[in-house]
Parts: sequence; C-alpha cells; structure tokens
Amino acid sequence: MIQLDLTRRLALVAALAVTAFPATAQEGEKPAESKEKSEESKDGEKKKEEVEHWFAIQNGDVYTGTGEVLRGATLLAKNGKIHSIGYDLYIPPDTKTVDAKGYRLYPGLVAISSQGLLGNSSGDFDDTIDPFNYRMVLGLATGITTTGAGSGAVKLKRFSVDGAVVNEKIFSSFSWSNSNPRGKGELHEKLVAAANFQREYREWQRKVKDDKTLVEPTKRGVDNTVLAVLQGEQTAKFVANDRDELLGIARLAQEFNFRPVIEGCQEGWTIADELGRAGVRAIVTPRDRRPKDERQALAGGASIENAAILHKAGVAIAITPATEGVDLGGLVGRDIMHLPLEPGFAVRGGLSERAALESITIVPARILGIAHRVGSLEVGKDCDVIITDGDVLHYKTFVQWAVVDGKVVYDKEKELFFAHIRPRPEAPAPKKVDAGETPPNPDAKPADAEKEGEKKEEGGDDAKKKGEGDEKKKDG
Amino acid sequence: MNTARTMSTGLAVALLASAAGLSSCASSRSADLSELGPGEEGVAIRCGRVLTVDAEDNSYSPGLILVRNGRIAYAGPDRHVPAGYAIEEQPELWAAPGMVELHAHVLCSGVDINDMVLPVNAELRVSAGMVPSNPAIRLACAGGVTTLFGIPGSGTSLGGFGIVFKAKTHATYDEAVVRDPGGMKVAQSYNPERRSGDLGATRAGLSWILEQYNEEARAMNAAGTSTPALENLQKVHSRELPVLIHSAGSDGYPAAARMWQIQNGTRAVLSHGCFDAHLTAPWLVKMGASLNVGPREIDFSSTRDGRITGVAARYLEAGARDLSLNTDSPVVPQEELFLQGAVAARYGADSYTMLRAVTIAPARVFGLDDRVGSLEVGKDADIVLRTGDPLDPRSRVERVYIDGRVEYDRRHDGQWF
Amino acid sequence: MLRSHSILFGALGALTALAGESLAASTSLAGGPLAIRVGRAETVAKGVIEHAVILVEDGKIVTIGEDLPVERGITVIDRPNWTVMPGLVSSYTRIGMDSEGGDDMSPDVKASTEIFPKSRDLRKVVEYGVTTLGIYPAGNGIPGLAAAIRPRGDTVEEMVLKDPAYLKIVMRSDSASKKRVRDAFAKADEYDEKVKKAREKWDKDKDSKKGKKEEKKEEKPEEKKPGMAGVEGQGPGPDAAEEPKADAKAEKAADGFVPPIPDDKVRAFVEMRAKKLRALVTLTSAADWLHWLDAIGKETIGFDVRLVLNQESDYFYVLDKKTYDLEADGIGDRKIHAVVEPLLTYTPNTRRVRNLPMELAKAGAKVCFTPRFDDLVNYKAWLGHVAELVGAGMTRDVALRALTLNPAEMLGVADRVGSLEKGKDANFVFLDGDPFQPATRIQAVMLDGRFVFGEVDP
Repeated sequence: MIQLDLTRRLALVAALAVTAFPATAQEGEKPAESKEKSEESKDGEKKKEEVEHWFAIQNGDVYTGTGEVLRGATLLAKNGKIHSIGYDLYIPPDTKTVDAKGYRLYPGLVAISSQGLLGNSSGDFDDTIDPFNYRMVLGLATGITTTGAGSGAVKLKRFSVDGAVVNEKIFSSFSWSNSNPRGKGELHEKLVAAANFQREYREWQRKVKDDKTLVEPTKRGVDNTVLAVLQGEQTAKFVANDRDELLGIARLAQEFNFRPVIEGCQEGWTIADELGRAGVRAIVTPRDRRPKDERQALAGGASIENAAILHKAGVAIAITPATEGVDLGGLVGRDIMHLPLEPGFAVRGGLSERAALESITIVPARILGIAHRVGSLEVGKDCDVIITDGDVLHYKTFVQWAVVDGKVVYDKEKELFFAHIRPRPEAPAPKKVDAGETPPNPDAKPADAEKEGEKKEEGGDDAKKKGEGDEKKKDG
Repeated sequence: MNTARTMSTGLAVALLASAAGLSSCASSRSADLSELGPGEEGVAIRCGRVLTVDAEDNSYSPGLILVRNGRIAYAGPDRHVPAGYAIEEQPELWAAPGMVELHAHVLCSGVDINDMVLPVNAELRVSAGMVPSNPAIRLACAGGVTTLFGIPGSGTSLGGFGIVFKAKTHATYDEAVVRDPGGMKVAQSYNPERRSGDLGATRAGLSWILEQYNEEARAMNAAGTSTPALENLQKVHSRELPVLIHSAGSDGYPAAARMWQIQNGTRAVLSHGCFDAHLTAPWLVKMGASLNVGPREIDFSSTRDGRITGVAARYLEAGARDLSLNTDSPVVPQEELFLQGAVAARYGADSYTMLRAVTIAPARVFGLDDRVGSLEVGKDADIVLRTGDPLDPRSRVERVYIDGRVEYDRRHDGQWF
Repeated sequence: MLRSHSILFGALGALTALAGESLAASTSLAGGPLAIRVGRAETVAKGVIEHAVILVEDGKIVTIGEDLPVERGITVIDRPNWTVMPGLVSSYTRIGMDSEGGDDMSPDVKASTEIFPKSRDLRKVVEYGVTTLGIYPAGNGIPGLAAAIRPRGDTVEEMVLKDPAYLKIVMRSDSASKKRVRDAFAKADEYDEKVKKAREKWDKDKDSKKGKKEEKKEEKPEEKKPGMAGVEGQGPGPDAAEEPKADAKAEKAADGFVPPIPDDKVRAFVEMRAKKLRALVTLTSAADWLHWLDAIGKETIGFDVRLVLNQESDYFYVLDKKTYDLEADGIGDRKIHAVVEPLLTYTPNTRRVRNLPMELAKAGAKVCFTPRFDDLVNYKAWLGHVAELVGAGMTRDVALRALTLNPAEMLGVADRVGSLEKGKDANFVFLDGDPFQPATRIQAVMLDGRFVFGEVDP
C-alpha cells in the first residue's frame, strides 16, 4: 500500500509538471500520459519555456479601430498577444502566417450581448461553453470574437474550453420603471444606505489610525450589490426607454456618482445632454421602433438619429441588433449574424463611420470591462483580428478569416456556410478588393458607395503610414 | 380549346412584351430641353451621380435631371439648364428612381386584411380600406419607396383586388392612387390552408375552387358577358390586370406557376418563392415566370449541405429575368425594401441587378414601367436623393420627389428614417 | 506441431473439470477434449487461419492452428463450411437488468448486485453470439461500478469475471457534472491527507513501541465491503492486520502500516488514482470531451469513453489534436477505448455521411461496439449493423476487434476472452460464412467449451 501510494504521488508530481504549460506541452515528442520520471518532465519544462508561438498577418490594410490605417502592413503576434504592427517587421522562423494582401484587418467585433453563440449554455460558461457549435462559427463569420454573455464576457474561442471567459461578473441589473414607483423608491433607499455606509467607512478608515477604539461601521442593511456598484466593482445596468425613466436614471447616477449602462434608451435623443452629463453609456438598436406618445407635448418616440445625437452629447454608444440570436429562418439583416449592418443605420442617422465601428468594438469592450484586452488592434492586446474583403460595415463584405488569441479559428473557404458565395480567389489575393462583381457599366455600380465612405474615413491617413519601425504606437 | 387559345396568346404576348422591352416607350422618348412656358413648373436637379436604371444602365456623374410638370424632361450628363427651371444643386448626393414594391400590406392599419368567410373573394377590393399617407406609407417614402401595390392578406385563396398607389406623404386617395384595381391577389400554399373552413382545407380543394372561378371567368370572356362579381377576375384573364400570387416552397411555387402562367396564361407574378422553392428555379425560368422574391432572402434548413443560400442569387443563376424583391411589409418594414436588395446582394446576387429588382423590374412585370421604375424622359418624376449607394443602410435619404413634388425632405421634415 | 500434439495426448486423461459445472447448455457434448475443424478462423489477435483446428479442453483453448492433425479418440467436429470467431463482447450494456437510474453520486453502487442469473434476455443474447458482457449500473452522474460477466451461470459468483470492471461517469457540459468529478477528487485528497496523518501517527507510535490500542483501531475498518474483495491490491484483507506480527522481523522492508479504509463514496476515486480502476466516461458531444479533460485537470487516472452517437454527432472535432489544432489531446491521441454504436452519422447541417467509428479507429482510439439500442432486437442485428460500417469503409480487422478483443481489454478480461488464442476461454461463434455478409447466420455458439446454442453433433 505504501509503495502504491508513493508511485501515485510520483505520478502526480509528474502530471503537475506536464500540465503546467498546457499550450506548449504537446509540441514535439509528447509522450503518452504514463511518463513518470520527474527528470524527463523537467527537460520538457525547459523546452516549453523556450517555445514561443508566433503568428503573423501580412500585407493587409490594418484598420486599428483607433482611427488609424496602415496600408499593406504586418501584424505580428506572440503567444496570442499582439507583438507589433508595422512594416518590415522581423518575422521569426516557424511563424504561422496569413497573407492578407488586398484584404483588411479589423479588431474582432465585440457583441455587447448575444444568444446561442456559446452553445446551449447559459451561465457558468467555463463549464458549459460548446466551442464546436455551429452558431459560434456563424458568430465568427460575422466577425464577432468576443460577446457579452449573461453578466460577463466570453471569447468565441473555438476548439477550446479554457480561457474563453474574460470577465465573469460585470453587470448588476436594476429596474427603474414608471410602472413600478415603489421599486424606484426602494432602489433609491438602497443607494442612500450604501452611500452612507461608504462615507462612514471612509471616515472610520481615516480616524481609526489615531483612535483604535473606533468601531468599524456595520454593513447591516446595506445592499451588497448596490454597494459594489458605488464602489465601481460592478456596473449597474438598466433597461429603459421612456424619457422620464432615462432622466430618473441619469439623476440617480449623478446623485450617487456611478456610471450606468442603459439598454434600449430609445428616447435618449430627447435628453441626450442630461445623459451625457451623467456619464451614461447606452446600448442601442438604431432601427428600434417606438411611436411617439401623442399625449406628450415634448418630443418622443424612437429616432434613427438616436445614436448620433447621444454620441454627440458624450454618451458612449454600443450597438446591438434587434435579435441577439442567430436567425436562419430567412428574414435577413436584423439578427446577430448581421451585427455590422446595424451600425450602418446609425451612420444613416448621422453617426460617424468611426463611432459606428467603435460601437461594435472598443465601446462594448469598455462596457464589458475588457478594453485592455480586446476591441482594438494595439500592441499588447489579444490578437483577436478579423480579415475582411472590404469595409466591415458594407453589406457585401465577408469575413475571410477570424483570428482569436493568435489562432485562425474561422476560414470562410473551409466552412460550408458561405464558401460558395464569391469564393476567394486562390493566392495571390485580389489586388483591389471591392465586394462586388463587374457591372455592365462600371460607373453605374452602386457598390461604389463604399468607397465614398472609405474616403471620408481615411482622410489624410497617408501621414499615418509609418515607413519603417517595428513598433506601432499605443493609443491612450 | 379555350384554355389552349388563352395560353398560346398569353405566351405570345409575353414574348412580344419581352422583345419590345428594350425599345419600350419611355426610353425612346427624346428629351425636352425647351424653356418653361408661363404657368409651367420645373426643377433642375444637378447631383453627384444619377443612376437612371434605364435599359442600358446608364449612370452619369455628375448628372442632371429636369423635371417638368411632374414628369422627367431630361436625365443625363450635366448640361446647360433651360430657362425657367429652379436649380437644385446637390453635388454630394446620388439620384435614383423611387423604389417599387409589389407586395405591401401597409395601405391600412393592418386589420383590414382578409375577409375570412369564403375562400375566393373575386368581388372584393381593398380600396375601401385604404388610408392614404398613413404613417407606414410616409415612412416608406422616407425610405425611398415611392410606388406600392397594396394588397389584401393571404388568409384566403383569392383575397381580392389591390391598388397601385404612390407613397405620397400628404395626399388624398385620388392623388395617391395610380391604378385601382391595380391587380389581383391570390394566395396558394401555406397561409390559406391555415384557417380554412370545411371547404378547401387542402391544396387540392383550394385549387379546384379557384379553377371553378377561373373557368367561369374565361367562359364569360369568351361569351362577351360579365357579372359584377367576376368583372375584375375577367380582366385578369383578358390580361388587362396582373395577378400577384403568394406561394412558396418547391411544391407550391411551381404549382402556382402551372395554374396561372401556363394553364390560365395570366400576367402572373409569383411572390415570395421562399424556403426551398429555389430548387425549382431552372424550371420556373424556363416557364418565363416573373418572380417577386421575399421577404425571406436566405434558405438554410432545406438545402441541407450546410450552405446558407441566397435565394435571389439562385434564381438569377438559373437565368431569371426581371426578378423583383419584396418586403411583405410589415413583415419587413416597408422602408427597408432597399435592405432586401442589400442582403440579396450579400448572399450572392449582383448589387446592380438588385437595384433593378427594387425599381424597374417590379414596374415592368406589373405594367407600370411606362410611368415608374427608372429615370427616363416622360416618366413620373419619382426621384430619391441619397448620400450614396441606394442599397447601403448608411446612405441617408435626403429628399424624395413624387410626381415632381417634394414629398419628403430630411432637412425640412426631420429625419424619419 | 509435435508439442501441441503431445499436449493433445496428455489432455485425454483429465476428464474431470466440467463435471462440477452446471451450465445449462442447449447442446453439450460429453466432457473431454474436443477438436473443432472449421474452414476459417478469425483469431482477431493473430489474423486468419484457414482450415483451422481448435482443441478445447476444460473450457479453454488448448491449441489452435492450421490443419493440425488430431489424435484418434478425440471427438472431432468437422465443419469445413463454417467460420469461427471469438464470442462477442458487449462491454456497455444493461441487458437482462431492469432497475431504474440511481443516485447522481453513487460510485459505490455495484451493477453486479443486480444480476439475475435466470434472466431470459441473458440467455437469449448468447444465441446472438455474445459470450461476455460488461454490465453497468443505471443512472446519471456517477452511478457506480460495472462488472464483466459471462451470460450463463446459476449464481452471480459463477457469472462474474471481473468486478468492478470500470466506474461509470456521465459527463455533460454543465457545472454539475464537472463539480461532481472535482468534488470526488477533492474528497480523495482529504483521504490522502487522512492516510498521511495516520501514517505519521503510526510511525510515531511504532517508534514509541507499538501498543495494543493501535492494533485494535486498525482492525475495525476491516469489516469492509465484501464487494470490493475482487479488486487486487484493495485495502487490507482480513489478514492484513496480522502481517505486522508476521513480518515484524523484516521491520523496514515492509512495515506493517495499515491505511484507513476510504469512505464508500471515495473508494473508487482512490482506486482510480492508484491505477487499479478505470473510468468509463459517457459523452454526448465533442464539447463534453474538453469539459471532461478540464474537469479531471491534473489527475492522471485511466479512463475510456462511451461516445453516444446521434445523427449529427460532432466528435470529429476532437479525434486528434492535430486536425483542429486543439489545445488539449484528442480522443485518439490518448489511445483509449471508445464505446460506440455501429452507426453512420451526418456532418452537422448536411447530408454528408460520416463513419465516425472508423474515424475514431483511424485516429488511434480502440473502438468497442455496443448495440445500437440495448435490446434483443439490436443484439440480433448487431453483426449486420457493424457490417454497414464495414461497407462504408471500416476495415474488417477493426470491426472484428471492436466486437471482441477491444471490449475485452476495456473490461480488463482480455487475458481470458476476446480472441482465439491458446489458453483463453473457449468462447466461439460459429458462422456459415463471413461475419459481415448479410446472408451469414450464426450456426452455433460455444461458451467455456460448451455449446450453448446450435445443434452440433460430431
């Protein structure tokens, strides 16, 4: 028995050593699980430490998502993080590369919310994610590499259940509804109690240094969730559309000094300045319909200009489609699979192209508390990149490759869903990518419109082209 | 006998129509560049690009459109504007013809859709329920849709007769309506089967009842007689009026083509064509059927090879001509007709063809191409000015002219959509 | 050849063994060695032998070879048109058992306690060529321990070949499944800690001179579960406590420390860590595989998988590490057994047919077939269903192995059954043609040297 016990322990030690570096452990001559000699695994350990995973996307036009464009540049990633973006980069041997000549690189899109992309799971995504389900493929085909899920954020990391969850608990949901005045009163009371406790606690913290006899203020009667919001540990999320309700939330935010996220926000445009001053962040659907309440004298109802007006007033805008799941029933253009179309309607309402792109990249990343990792192409961030055959907001553009953590997890040509639609020409990639086909009269081609948008967006980006240098700037 | 005759003439007429298509009335008219006389109204719109959507797909950048007394007097490259015209300078904007929708349920509040007692209602007309310039129609205008075929629902086999009208924003019935009755609405497959009573619970039953009426109408046409109840159905059989048929699926779509296109030789437009109906595309094209696709633009479930199939693209690949798109509004909001074109293009169709599919193609198959569907001399001045590609959601509609009048102006009215 | 000859001869004398057996065979020949001559033998372990002769005695294969001469006096069954193969092994079944599912966490439940030797179904499956069964306890979660049995016998003891054969674990992509596994190993950790402390105490007490107290303490847990007795190296047997006395002189060589008996719920996991027990993990999707690996984390236990197949199973994603550049091992990389139904499936969302069992075998997994459904109808059609996969590209060798030797290995009884080799149990299926030809019928079945199905006269 003793001996057996010992061998088991040895085996455990060996196992520990092997699994300490899971990503790289399997490279080279990875023996069967029965390796028991600790020396051997130590050898392996050294090797593992040396192994670096390099990945490069070359010759593409890099749209960093921070307003800059680098034409024909290279993005280099090391162990899943962006190592450098620029020209004439040194590409280490054994780097996996994708030639994106003629294509564009964008940061992977961030869906502020979605349904079904992670499989049939809901909650506990670490334990329930299905990284093989087809909706995840469709999500990646849409360009989405990270999604809000439940009250957290999860990456569409295919083929792996490890490390997909990037933020577990972001939101606490609250209600502030005209139809529930009592609920409003209760929430206000909770906020008062939590704010009082916060103040007393700070005071106690200050004074206790001099007077050790002071008793720590009690948390009794203080709502923990509300306190977490006031302490900035969690984000208060409301679903509200009425002007009155929105104003109420804005006042709460100012009174108690927190930055709420408001989903819906349909009448936000009528009180955009108030919301902006309160630091509100909004999740909007530009095509939302809501008739004006004709009994009200003031402006009301939904407006296609909502996002643009809110943005102008300083409200951070994340955009979500009307249907947050994948809809393959045939009615096209309003589900999560068409996420990039939705900001187009905000542009229609006056939002800038750049803010429109940000509404499905960096802004949702910020709201989800993961902007340090995703949402733009910057050195040090996760290498979550989509490679498209055109302007990502254009209706004909397809994602050709999606990359998560420096690994190609979607290739349009290799999945059945869209491979048959405008198949990718074999290398070399097309010189000028323009999602359309030759029209009878080139002048008459409506698809040209995308170029117009392009011009606006890229104005003067020549100056931004860096001829040389390995490193790309960091954006604040 | 009777059937055979109707059929052969029907085909002959169809052939003639398509042959004559290129040299049809509008494009052959020559521009009127004379000065405006006293009392005449005229506006000259000079814009960054003019997409005429004419037979040659001409576009001009910059371009000029002269609107005279509600009609287009000139559409072409920029030139000297004759005296008397008010000049509109819009160098940033694109001009395109107002869009045409053949499958709209927005002419009233939505409750006046079907009379559900009898399966065939050849005597009914929707004009009684029409609310001109209702909010949905105004929104349609703001989305660039200017001509619509407003129809009864699909709850019964023959719902009645619809009207063709313009999406004017402040109009009376008479000002808005172009043709009443504008065409007939038939529904086959799925919907009419849902709420049928004892009579005609199956496709066989419903088809039989329809054919009874068809035969009666044909017989009356042959005899030169008429009754008020069948008067309009007779016009369908004499090809004076088109018929729009709701049908879908690889079973229902060709069945509708057989009944209306082949057996009855009517001016049939097959609407929807969703689900797996595209599997029958080559056959439909061979029959010369006019297809009006939507609101479902992709098919996934039935093809079963993991492909997301763009339905319009499949019909085009099979050689479909004058393919048009619909929204089945409010299934897809009426103002988003352009988006139907955009997504059809996304899933494999050509963008420009999809622009035609929401402008000239539906006008043509419904016999409206002498008035709408393209920017050509002599046609109604239904012009939409946008900030770019008509199919791109980002392109904002700045102004809509219908019959030469500004019906919607974003700066003046505020942005409705 | 000569040697086997002499063995044949010597065997003549030993006629006793079968007398005590009370197998109810439909046809049984008088005891004594028996030679069977058939047109073809699928040995599974060593390929095909044409014109094979098998000598059987005492229920075992004495020898097998091509055209061996047979001594006079030995009964010979001569069937030149027959093919013989090892008795089929069904490693994952509940045929003949009818209890409902058990507790979510009952790793101590033993399926063998449910065996009903008179079960008609068990008698019937023999006719379909099945001579070894792995029966598992019903239920989800971790329902308990399976046993390897022969389908004939008057008592459970007579029937059991190995008990426990494996621990059944059902893994789903949910928190509860993973928590169950993690908690179980955490409990095993606690037990380890207990052992460690007991050991320290024991060492201390030993140093300060062994007192009678300890011995008494150690003796108590000896009233262990009788069911676990079959496990080799299991906790101390009744005489374990005696050992210290007996080996007292030896001192350090084998000190007499007796570890505490693990709790019933923990025992199986302790056994697994000690590599004395394997798990059979039921999965229903590729994701379940990754979640399972995630759940066991650093544990180095041995396990096999039961892959439930349905029309659009997606295991092809996790066959090997390479194809989809997985961060974890694929099923094939682990070289483990994979229990599957003989079923063709589709690539999801398509009508592209896949032969997943074949793909599993190609990736390195040891495929074990289970009938499509666990009922007599599907047992009867079992060979035919496997034949469909052979028709769809699976090699005959892989298919045969998946019905015999692989499941025998998985059950830990490959030393006795699963192939036609010298010394193994005489479990045979006699067919009138190739096992995977549709017209082929089972003509006779032999179990432990006795014909249990088929009219066979010398």
